[in-house]
Amino acid sequence: MIKKILIANRGEIAVRIAKACKEMGITSVAVYSDADKSSLHVRVVDEAYHIGSSVAAESYLDGDKIITLAKIISADAIHPGYGFLSENSNFIKKCEEANIIFIGPSSKSVEMMGNKTTARTIMKKNNVPIVPGTTEGIKSYEDAEKISKEVGLPIMLKAASGGGGKGMRRIDKIEDLKAAISSAQNEARKAFGDDTIYIEKFVENPKHIEVQILADKHGNYIHLFERDCSIQRRHQKVVEEAPAPTLTKELRAQVTTAALNAAKACNYYNAGTIEFLYDQNENFYFLEMNTRLQVEHPVTEAITGIDLVKEQIKIAQGDVLNVQQDDLNIMGHSIECRVYAEDVDSNFAPSTGKILHHRLPSGPGIRVDRGIDILSEISVYYDPMLSKVIAHGQDREEAIARMNRALEEYQIAGVTTNIHSFQWILNHPDFADGTFDNNFLDREFLPLLPGEWKNELDDKYENVATILSALLKDRDSKTKPFKRECKPENRWGKENYEPS
Amino acid sequence: MTDYIVSIDKKKHTLKILSNKRVQLNGNKHEVELSQLSKYAYLLKIDNTIHHVTSEKLSNQNYSFTINGSHYNTTVRTNLEEKANEYLQNKAKESGTEIIKSPMPGLIVKILKQVGDNVEVGDPLILLEAMKMENEIRASASGIVKSVSAKENSSVEKGQALLEIS
Repeated sequence: MIKKILIANRGEIAVRIAKACKEMGITSVAVYSDADKSSLHVRVVDEAYHIGSSVAAESYLDGDKIITLAKIISADAIHPGYGFLSENSNFIKKCEEANIIFIGPSSKSVEMMGNKTTARTIMKKNNVPIVPGTTEGIKSYEDAEKISKEVGLPIMLKAASGGGGKGMRRIDKIEDLKAAISSAQNEARKAFGDDTIYIEKFVENPKHIEVQILADKHGNYIHLFERDCSIQRRHQKVVEEAPAPTLTKELRAQVTTAALNAAKACNYYNAGTIEFLYDQNENFYFLEMNTRLQVEHPVTEAITGIDLVKEQIKIAQGDVLNVQQDDLNIMGHSIECRVYAEDVDSNFAPSTGKILHHRLPSGPGIRVDRGIDILSEISVYYDPMLSKVIAHGQDREEAIARMNRALEEYQIAGVTTNIHSFQWILNHPDFADGTFDNNFLDREFLPLLPGEWKNELDDKYENVATILSALLKDRDSKTKPFKRECKPENRWGKENYEPS
Repeated sequence: MTDYIVSIDKKKHTLKILSNKRVQLNGNKHEVELSQLSKYAYLLKIDNTIHHVTSEKLSNQNYSFTINGSHYNTTVRTNLEEKANEYLQNKAKESGTEIIKSPMPGLIVKILKQVGDNVEVGDPLILLEAMKMENEIRASASGIVKSVSAKENSSVEKGQALLEIS
């Protein structure tokens, strides 16, 4: 039995994990950097330890320091959250050697899925459809040219050890291939220390569909249906939902079966996500497997009633899954909006500062997972995600209506957020009918920057902003002719309404 | 009676404060009552509707508000301030220099334009890394790059001058 968990992360996910620990009677431990002294994750745990400077490499990414601390404080397990050390197979190996339970898969599974060409080879062998192309690195230019012509242009060059778009090139003309290979190899060598490049057919305007799975250490595998995460800007997910709005039962059966095959192929245990590209002709292609908890896991929790973090902990301590596939049904619909500290109209520039005031949305079907609290510092060091608003309804329409309502209630002062821009997304006809694809925001929204997207919304509050601006300036001016009392004890309706 | 000019994006509104409880917005009269809940939260009753507003005072003339999920940056000036501002803007147009400032603290990754380069509004000028993301700083005016004070691989503070266009 796990009694004490060190949470090797920060922000909303560290808070989320601490809540699961509390419910299970497990002691939770936070680690924090200089910049995170006033962060919420430090305030909600049972114990908190300062582990280093604000630079992630000297704190949240310093695996040795974290393992040493875990030993000193007798933590029996480490939860990595997402990002940071969560998919670092060396770190997992060190935990295994130090006899500390890593709440995640084995280092071997992570290694198998970490290399893209290895993963593609394994998937192909196990009946998981992959994007047409090679399962090995390019050996020669002649070879590459032949394969490109076979799969048909446009193609993508990708780095085997890749991620974050580095070493990636789109090829539309065969004349460009030679130069692109050498530049992609250079970039990959610099970024990953490995210049292996492989070829994939370019999939035109796909959707991003991913399947959540759970697997225990006893060979039991279940899936928790799919999520649609196609609302992205420059490969950054912004809105996610479950189930996927346009998927038929037959296609759902097809993609979830493929996902379970993928998990079995790497002897997986833990919660995991298998990402697919879903093209215009209803084909699924394996994209990658994320061997960790996802940011968007709450939408799956909403429609299945399963607490994924608790399941992760139970799996890690060797429990048998107590949920069977047949127990699971899709209950309603759920949507998540990621709230970022950013100025949409300044090309999404991150906004730094202090959270001076916030008021959380509440009421039926609303959940907020947050990493911020009053006076939390939003620094340049980490991801600018402040919180996630999750809405759940009987159907998609109700979930959207609840999300719109919740975002109206949500107040954050101190930093600029992207909350306003969700009005544009949630009310767009392509969002309403579910036909959006991965390029929807880049194609439809980015050209409306700066500011023009607001013209497509009903502006109900410009008059309120105008009046308040003048009243506040008037209150603060020295020469004001009228005394303006605006104390909290102001009460409306000193004059009662009387029918005339 | 005080008149204020409130600018939101490119729109200008005229607001007259008629009395303690009455204002006139673009010619229409409204009953108003203001109540402050905390330093950053207000309730504003306009006629019979109550609005929850969060507010930050950015300067003597600039406010930032959030009202039901909608965000506004406003500039509010008295008639006199508005006239003074117009005069200053016209003067700046005559001399015609625009100073590009860093919108956030970060690291200068790359300078894309050099002294003497021609730039159009919206052209990327500088790549700035902050929060692990590269951000393009774009030209807010057209013209010729007059000077570049930013240096590659050096960190900058918010509001620091980076480049001058004339």
